[in-house]
Amino acid sequence: MGIILYKEPKLEKPDMVACWPGIANIGVLAIDTLRGQIGAEELGEIESLDFFYPRRVIIKAGVLEDLEFPSSKFYYKRFDSKDLIIFIGEEQPADGGRMYAEGIKAYQMADLVLDVAERFGCHRIYTSGAAVSLTHHALKPRVWAVTSRDDLNKEVRGHDNTILMSEIEGTVDGGSITGLNGLLLGLAKKRGFEAICLMGEIPDYLSRAPFPYPRASKSVLEILASFLRIEIDYGALDKMSAQIDDIIEGMYEEFSSDIRERLDQRKSIAQAKPETITEEDGKWIKEHIDELFKKGDSGDERPS
Amino acid sequence: MNGPLKFHWQPELQRSSLVVGWGVDATKLGAKVINYLNRKLGGQSFCEIEPVEFFPLGGITIEDDLVQFPESKFYSYPGKNLVVFSGPPPGYQWYKFLNLILDVAENYCHVQELHTIGGMISLWAHTAPRELMGIFNSPELKEALSHYRLATGLDYETPPGQRPTLNSFLLWAAKRRNIPGVNLWVPIPFYLVPVDDPKAQRRILEFLNQRFDLGIDFSDLDEEIEQQNQIIAEMRHSFPHIDESISMLESHLMPSEEESQRLVIETEKFFREKRY
Repeated sequence: MGIILYKEPKLEKPDMVACWPGIANIGVLAIDTLRGQIGAEELGEIESLDFFYPRRVIIKAGVLEDLEFPSSKFYYKRFDSKDLIIFIGEEQPADGGRMYAEGIKAYQMADLVLDVAERFGCHRIYTSGAAVSLTHHALKPRVWAVTSRDDLNKEVRGHDNTILMSEIEGTVDGGSITGLNGLLLGLAKKRGFEAICLMGEIPDYLSRAPFPYPRASKSVLEILASFLRIEIDYGALDKMSAQIDDIIEGMYEEFSSDIRERLDQRKSIAQAKPETITEEDGKWIKEHIDELFKKGDSGDERPS
Repeated sequence: MNGPLKFHWQPELQRSSLVVGWGVDATKLGAKVINYLNRKLGGQSFCEIEPVEFFPLGGITIEDDLVQFPESKFYSYPGKNLVVFSGPPPGYQWYKFLNLILDVAENYCHVQELHTIGGMISLWAHTAPRELMGIFNSPELKEALSHYRLATGLDYETPPGQRPTLNSFLLWAAKRRNIPGVNLWVPIPFYLVPVDDPKAQRRILEFLNQRFDLGIDFSDLDEEIEQQNQIIAEMRHSFPHIDESISMLESHLMPSEEESQRLVIETEKFFREKRY
């Protein structure tokens, strides 16, 4: 169980941006877009064998040619003042087909990621994910932020379209970040790194959708680019957003007019308040969204 | 101490072969084939893998009124150069678990070759022959087994949303250790999955019997196949719509989804009534 580094470049005060898949792949889509945009080079990987069940077998003429595992890769990019390391995990090392990792495997993987951060002299770690919110898909998703220190919270406030978790209605007493995108933040704090998590808002009624939500990924990437002081071309994300918007609109049309009317009220207020949708309506939405999405489910071959 | 390995005794084997069957494939074919081998050849368990690192153990399951608990056991057979592993697939730490199997096979039993057993659900009728398919981890073994009536030309990639089988994972792990191996797959008609398919068991056992010169007399299994054929014939006679569905399958036509589901449910029901 360990790290394989393909090279060991000297990096200048690098930050690390790390992410695993989560709701609507908001974080991974943002970070992977960043990776592609800046032309980051491969740096290394975490060995997959001890963490994952294989994801694909390739058999040719009756002979097993290859078995592929989910990758957990590091990339790097040099900039003028501050370099960057990116980590993207293709899956969370979760047992039993779950999406989110927990327990010893999750801890081991987070620890390995931070070992690389420490080895290259990183001081700050960014993670990213989704914030399920009582918002509407026609509104620009805000970015919820959580950090490991008060002074970082002050820094967060300096970025547009960003809101600290405590400023969201209903989260005054705190919240939680499930899986490795949260655990890494906690472990980073424990090991003395500055840690910031940026979560793109997704409407509650889309949180179980089997497609990405690039609008939120764009919001996250805008904030991240602002923190890192780099320029990003959002053309690809905008194009994807337009395609997904069509799917969402089609789905939205299938909601009852009563529910649609209630959800549409969210558009008229900058910050949706919990009372704009009743618990009963919320339950209705969840149940009906599941019914719609079940159509696209596929089986899991897992063990023979 | 051997970690999760618990040895009861150590068999004396040289240049042996390992056969692996899991307990969860279609009709539990792997476990049934290994139970049959144990019964006919006097298999004795010499080692087991302790479950605690590999299974959830959050309680137990019950099947046919019997408590189920994950037992991962190795067997050897007096006078035969064969070692067999049987158990349920682990819930996690898959690679470590598979390597424990290969550790026992390689380090304690001097295994030279791996065979895994698997049943796959097919859309064929029960009257169709069970064509055995082999997937290899070495072209040399494929060549060496070419005279065994195996289908060996499969091209396959795991479709999106699905995962490879544990047999594929084991075959790959064996390849990393330079142990040649083959996954043996036998098709099982979908409507026999909730019941049993002794014909599929026989097809795998025939292969193993020939390959390892086991000298097994299959008359008991043949009798079981005959009994099953008679029950299905009776079912076809009693229920024209079932006969129609099976006739379609025999003509390589697929009944509708509804008819197929009905065939599965009514076959299970008919067999259950016959057995009690």
